[in-house]
Amino acid sequence: MSGRTRFLARRVGWALVTVWVVITFNFVLFRVLPGDPARSGARDPRLNPETQAALTERFGLDKPLFFNFGSGAPFDSQYFIYIGALMQGDLGTSYARPDDPVAEQLGDALVNTLWLVLPSQFLSILFGIILGLVAAWRRGKATDIGSLAFSLFMWSLPTFFLAIILLFIGARYFDLPIGGKGTIGAAFETPVEAAVDLFRHLLLPTLTLTLVLLGEYMLIMRSSVLDVFSEDYVLTAKAKGLSTYRIIRGHALKNAMLPMVTLIALNLAFTVSGAIQVESVYSWPGLGHLTVQAVSDRDYPVLQGAFLLLALAVVFANLVADIVYGYLDPRVTEA
Amino acid sequence: MTVVAEVQSRPTTIAAPRGALRTLLHHPVGLAGLIMLGLTFFVAVFAPLLAPYDPYDTPPVHIEDIYQPPSPEHPLGTDDGGKDVLSELIYGSRVSLIVGFTAAAIAIVIGGAIGIVAGYKAGRTGSALMRFTDFFLVIPDLALQIVLVAILGPSLVTIIIVIGILGWTTTARLVRSQALTVRERKFVARAHAIGASDWHMIRRHIIPLVMPLMLANAVLVISLAILSESTLAFIGLGDPTVISWGKMLNFAFDRGAVSAGAWWAFFPPGLAIVWVVLATTLLGTALEDVLNPRLKRHHLEAGRDDVVRSVEPPPAVMIPTANAPLLSIRGLSVEFESSDGPLRAVDDVSFDLARGETIGLVGESGSGKTTAMLGLLRLLPPGGRIVAGQALFDGEDLLSLPPDELRAFRWTRLSMVFQGAMNALNPVQTVGGQVTEAIRLHDHRISKDEANRRTADLLDRVGIGARRANEYPHTYSGGMRQRAMIALALACRPDVIVADEPTTALDVMIQAQIMELLGGLSRDLGMSTIIVTHDLGIVAQVCDRVVVMYGGRVAEDAPASRLFAEPRHPYTQALLEAFPDVAHPERELHAIGGTPPRLDAMPPGCPFAPRCAHAFDRCDTAKPPLYPISDGWAASCYLLDPAHPAPASPATHD
Repeated sequence: MSGRTRFLARRVGWALVTVWVVITFNFVLFRVLPGDPARSGARDPRLNPETQAALTERFGLDKPLFFNFGSGAPFDSQYFIYIGALMQGDLGTSYARPDDPVAEQLGDALVNTLWLVLPSQFLSILFGIILGLVAAWRRGKATDIGSLAFSLFMWSLPTFFLAIILLFIGARYFDLPIGGKGTIGAAFETPVEAAVDLFRHLLLPTLTLTLVLLGEYMLIMRSSVLDVFSEDYVLTAKAKGLSTYRIIRGHALKNAMLPMVTLIALNLAFTVSGAIQVESVYSWPGLGHLTVQAVSDRDYPVLQGAFLLLALAVVFANLVADIVYGYLDPRVTEA
Repeated sequence: MTVVAEVQSRPTTIAAPRGALRTLLHHPVGLAGLIMLGLTFFVAVFAPLLAPYDPYDTPPVHIEDIYQPPSPEHPLGTDDGGKDVLSELIYGSRVSLIVGFTAAAIAIVIGGAIGIVAGYKAGRTGSALMRFTDFFLVIPDLALQIVLVAILGPSLVTIIIVIGILGWTTTARLVRSQALTVRERKFVARAHAIGASDWHMIRRHIIPLVMPLMLANAVLVISLAILSESTLAFIGLGDPTVISWGKMLNFAFDRGAVSAGAWWAFFPPGLAIVWVVLATTLLGTALEDVLNPRLKRHHLEAGRDDVVRSVEPPPAVMIPTANAPLLSIRGLSVEFESSDGPLRAVDDVSFDLARGETIGLVGESGSGKTTAMLGLLRLLPPGGRIVAGQALFDGEDLLSLPPDELRAFRWTRLSMVFQGAMNALNPVQTVGGQVTEAIRLHDHRISKDEANRRTADLLDRVGIGARRANEYPHTYSGGMRQRAMIALALACRPDVIVADEPTTALDVMIQAQIMELLGGLSRDLGMSTIIVTHDLGIVAQVCDRVVVMYGGRVAEDAPASRLFAEPRHPYTQALLEAFPDVAHPERELHAIGGTPPRLDAMPPGCPFAPRCAHAFDRCDTAKPPLYPISDGWAASCYLLDPAHPAPASPATHD
């Protein structure tokens, strides 16, 4: 096995362990903590008695939590029933909307969240890299100080407040929709009109999330580039006769991207919290909106499922970042 | 050591937090943060005196009181319940500060403890703790906060505990890495060796050293906690019994302030959050800046002028002839910016290099030898610039070359083997790729295959072997990296190679191999070589001529055989007396008393005068020029001035 394969195998193994820990943690949160949301939920007045009985039966809510030693079948417990159901994609029944299985609600929401998060991530990483590079290169000059001030301000600005400001401005002065994914009740003649409508609804949430992430990425890139620009191999490249542009493109950028990749991965949890806030202001029907909705509805199965999905998404994205890192840095064999 | 760090090395941490506090008060950003935070505290403490109304008082609401715009009666208008926004704003500061500071305290204590233990017990306990931390890093914190507060119920205490116990991960990582470096220090190992207990070690040695950075981190954790509290409140998970800025925003947003155009209901609380978070962020940034200052400059600064000669030298008129020197350095002077004005690192240096000649440029560290060579290639570290002199290469002044001609000149006529090949090679590019890049950069007509073939030849020639071309520098040993650096320097068949301390940090056997390789190659290829070194053994082995530098000036410039036989400058004499001679092992060695002058305390006269046994009054007043001794031999010492012979050697000597 080459060093790189070994590195990847180790990363995948670690991700799998993390997934198991996340699943167990999620179980513990909702079954063990005081308040006992699962059992109180099965007595939720919104459900009819038959459904309540079916739920208790399905999730073994009358059984022990982890191991059922008394019955002779030690794995006939809530924990293993939960894991078994999860394996089959069964995340339970929503209390607020019992007819929509939780898994389906989450699937739709995840797609909507990706519509919002992927373009924002892409734009903010792209502009973060460019601005961070320029700021580092022009260190101490107006561009640098301006972008530093911007980052500090963006960091201090709560995401939901920025979302409200942009919503206020966008709806008042640019006639943009105040929320949702599409104009309710609108019938579109052509697919182009539908696409324009979707774009108009996406514009403000995407802008908000991009701005929030941009400051962070710019700051990381700037400090990473500053480190690389002080390295001896940059001096070697200059001595070889390379122009500043070619030094940056051929030597500095790849090296500066290494910490950037790690930090983008570490920042994914931050991205999720940004998405939750943006979605709840713009009523964008994604995972974040669903989470907040589930809290106000006391709809614990949905809350549990949404949290699980968000955590797993971060674990997965971290794994992707690790793989990218392994591709960029030949030294990972030593890690 | 990097070139930049050599010139501007500074302490990286300030041990005493008290000193840091004083520096902070002089830091404009830090001062601004302190004042903003102080004002917020003042408002929170004196809220009942400052607020025009009591927002906890609930009189009956009249429909016309709702969303009243700002008026003399209500300077910031009224909210959805008809209450005075200003009063709510003043009282809201209390919740932000209480939650921010108490939650951060919990987070810092947990994170600090985990970090210290993980760093101090670096073995199995440490890695288990770091795995635990890594797990919490991937959990989206806001989502977990929402889940926990939703299950446990939104009271102020729950919110503080939830934010506190989830906010420790950054602290733990930071403290751990700091504790790890502390652990490596000598005195810690010593205290361990004499039997100090773990708790004693942590309390007396680790905590005081970790404290300053923890302080900077604490401020950032406070700002995060304040943001978290307001976000939870905005989502509807605030304590229903208290007024907070997040909750004001929640009510305003949920109850139609945006569509009603009632900006006064959501702008003031939002800006209040920005105000207090900005205050802590500014404070944290300033603290970090004070405690851990970064280098302010780098190699690729935009719009930098590295040649600023006050007196523009006459245009070069030398006509290249067969016996004219290939390289002629004339009166080269280099200065570095500093807070106390410019410091002269290289002062009026002149010497020649003939075709095929090998020169040793010798001196102690800080004598300006490396700086002079970097100046020649126009590669001075940031803050350095050439203030006088000329560097004529084949009759052309390198110091007046426009940027594109300079780039074309580099590596094709003059290349450099840098000190410390590990850092001088790009870690993420193959060794072969770095050589090929240089070849193709300067020869646009060469095909890719042809360039690769030449790279393979070069790697064979320096003893690496062509098959290692596709490997990365980290797979090479120290000696192999130095060979790779030499292959890179040869890539464009330059006329001159400057080798800066080519054998430092290599073991003795490898040193000899590298010098043999370098000497053999320059002979075979007819190159001129300048070897920058403090090792007289190397000089004796390979150099035709020696230029001795001291205090940024040339002390003596002599043919190698003459220099070793009869050194004329007192510094050269002292240097040779301090150097063991294999042919005469019975000779006693004499160390040179005193230390070389510092750049910021250069003597007004001869830089060696304070350490010189032969110094007389003239040596302390003016710098001696180079006095010719015979053809190709000169030394800068007043003892050699034919016009004014020195007084008889002082009797005090010996």
